[in-house]
Amino acid sequence: MPKSNSGSVNRRGFLKGAAASAAAGAAALVTNVETSEAQQRGGTGPGNGNGSGGAPPPTPDRVARDAGNVQPPAVTGRAVTRPGSDLMTQVLRDLGVEYVASNPGSSFEGLQESIINYGNPPNKMPEFITALHEESAVTMAHGYGKAEGKPMCALLHATIGIQHAAMSIYQAYYDRAPVLIIVGRDEGFIAAHTAHDMAGMVRSFTKWDAQPKTLEESLTAIQRAYNEAITPPCGPTLVVLDTELQKEEAKALKIPAYQPPRITGIESVQVREIAKGLIEAQNPRIAVGRLRTPQGVKAAVELAELVGASTSTAATNGPMSFPQRHPLCGPGFNTTYDYTLGLEAPAAQASITGPGLATLLNRDVTNIGFGGIAPGSGNRGGGGRGGRGAVAGAPALAITADAEASLPSIIEEVKRQLTADKRRAIQDRVTKHSEANQKARVEAITQAVEAKRAGWDASPVSTARVYSELWPLIMNEDWCLSSPSGFSGGHNAQLWDHNKPYSYLGGQGAGGMGYGAPASVGAALAAKSRGRIVINVQTDGDLNYAPGVLWTAVHHKLPMLTVMHNNRAWHQELMFVEYMCGVRGRGTDRGHIGTSLRDPFIDYAKMAAGYGMASEGPITDPKLLAAALKRGVESVKKGNPYLIDVVTQPR
Amino acid sequence: MKTKLLLLTLLLTLSAHFIVAQERGGGSAPARNPNPPTSPVSGSAANGKALYYDHGCYGCHGFNGETGRAFVGNWSSNLANEENFIRFLRARANVAPLTPSTSMPNFPENSLNDKQAKDIYAYIRTFKSNAPPVQNIPVLNEIVKAASRPYKP
Repeated sequence: MPKSNSGSVNRRGFLKGAAASAAAGAAALVTNVETSEAQQRGGTGPGNGNGSGGAPPPTPDRVARDAGNVQPPAVTGRAVTRPGSDLMTQVLRDLGVEYVASNPGSSFEGLQESIINYGNPPNKMPEFITALHEESAVTMAHGYGKAEGKPMCALLHATIGIQHAAMSIYQAYYDRAPVLIIVGRDEGFIAAHTAHDMAGMVRSFTKWDAQPKTLEESLTAIQRAYNEAITPPCGPTLVVLDTELQKEEAKALKIPAYQPPRITGIESVQVREIAKGLIEAQNPRIAVGRLRTPQGVKAAVELAELVGASTSTAATNGPMSFPQRHPLCGPGFNTTYDYTLGLEAPAAQASITGPGLATLLNRDVTNIGFGGIAPGSGNRGGGGRGGRGAVAGAPALAITADAEASLPSIIEEVKRQLTADKRRAIQDRVTKHSEANQKARVEAITQAVEAKRAGWDASPVSTARVYSELWPLIMNEDWCLSSPSGFSGGHNAQLWDHNKPYSYLGGQGAGGMGYGAPASVGAALAAKSRGRIVINVQTDGDLNYAPGVLWTAVHHKLPMLTVMHNNRAWHQELMFVEYMCGVRGRGTDRGHIGTSLRDPFIDYAKMAAGYGMASEGPITDPKLLAAALKRGVESVKKGNPYLIDVVTQPR
Repeated sequence: MKTKLLLLTLLLTLSAHFIVAQERGGGSAPARNPNPPTSPVSGSAANGKALYYDHGCYGCHGFNGETGRAFVGNWSSNLANEENFIRFLRARANVAPLTPSTSMPNFPENSLNDKQAKDIYAYIRTFKSNAPPVQNIPVLNEIVKAASRPYKP
């Protein structure tokens, strides 16, 4: 287990020792910084913060500082010319981290100052994104990670920031989303905000963490955290950065050279076997689950085209899968497959599936035993399934390896083994598959629209109509459906074409509410510079956890259209409680208590307007919907987020 | 007379078992009819509308019976007449589920009496399809047409 570097070492003592052994000038600079901090703290030491219980009341100096009445310390010239946080920012820039989402906190003021002021241009790569809640900041990174297959950063303030963010970290972990989390730590300012082992609170549901002791270690830790986040099983990683390290004079310290992770694929003997199986089959098939990055999707397409395999896709369940309308995607002309390869998906002959969350159980040192991961935990009467990476069934060749990393060698081997005769046969098969899949798609859509017309003119508006009216407005755009659609009927799965790795970002991860809007903001951050628009069909109960994220979307001019699926309830729970009331025979007329959002109804258009977002509604007349959606799409195409409150049928 | 009574009892018992089996996933699905029933209605649809909302029927069946687990165009034999409907409402007593369920709740008489049930039934019977045929919905035609477009990566 990668252990945290935290320990019993007194960090201030360590820094002082390091300074003593360094050049005199450096020692003077460090001392100068500490002196300034001591002055700003009004001479208070660790433990004299604003803790509760028996903690002393704030000193006059503390009160003065909190009130903003403190004069800057009397120093001449710049105490630090190359702060450590500049190097930290440069590391993020070198890694290609586009955004740092954060709710401000004193423990990372040094790093925040560097992000917004360091470099040319400043506040770009990464750009500081203002979050109104730490949970929102991490879920933004969650949404971004799923859309791009790489991390953005969430910056958290100390113990309280981590705990605000804990649920969203947990959710990103279950969803195996790459997220880079940095936590500021200031041992001396406010005692209740610090801890010896900051990451300990979330260790059992993060992939890796570190609390480095030197600036150089900090830079390496950020690089490693990035690498660990994108190495399967992907997940949130966390680095704790002490405020002194952020403010330390870096002098001539060089940023360590970055080495990308080496993600291993399958063995060469397995490569040959799979390539042979695909080539020799008369009707091969490739089942594609969720790969890691757009490059993986591209490679899967290349392999399918090379061998003329029909494919299945998980693109209607989540990101990074095979394009749904690719001519090879579908049942094909013949559904008797003689060789099936699974890429992060179960399959009959060979299945390549990356390591699941169960491989991280050694970080659960207190044996919390989260459901679905730990053996014996999870669904009633069932054992753990080891996370999403687990393979169902028993293929002839079940390989635990990253499918995406395996694809280049399989493609290379296929090319090596392919003969001209085989290529001709494959081309013929591709043509037949394409025709059959196209026919199947038209038939499926024709059936689907017949079902979706039910309740077409009903008021409140049917969820099917919401998705139906949306599709023609966005089908020619580069779009991303960022919100989970499971609670809204999942109509996109039948009606829309999910052809991009980010077309649909899937569910919450761990079923936690408060996900849709912040994940959509993260997806919109990814979309902003890529000419893409984001559609967030937002369930009402979910939005109310941290609606301040709407302000973030406005403030940063994000192309995010929010269409409320406003059924005025946490609807699944309403049905659950109704059922319990019924089977206990004690009155279904009270099932709405605690599960519905009535008396009063919430006006989401006004809520959005309060955050400065263009909005309209509530819409109950379905005939008004199309025009409103059109206005919304036009708005987000110009970079102005928009919210439409639609009062809907429950599902 | 006694024989007739026995036969009736047997029929009712079998019918109840059939309904329970359906709800527990143990039997075949009830017969479905695209056309609404024509049996007599004795309840008040106006009262039924309020009860339909208060007892959360809309939660699964939509406010108009057209969405979710729709009635309209999909009339179950459980809705064939008032008696079937009431029997169906009472069919899941003494169930003690461990897992949360979105199945049809039970509606015992002490929470929804026969008169109220008949009122709800009367309201349900007012439901009609508001949906135009697909050919009259331009946006759905556009979706079908788009499905024929060639794939663009």
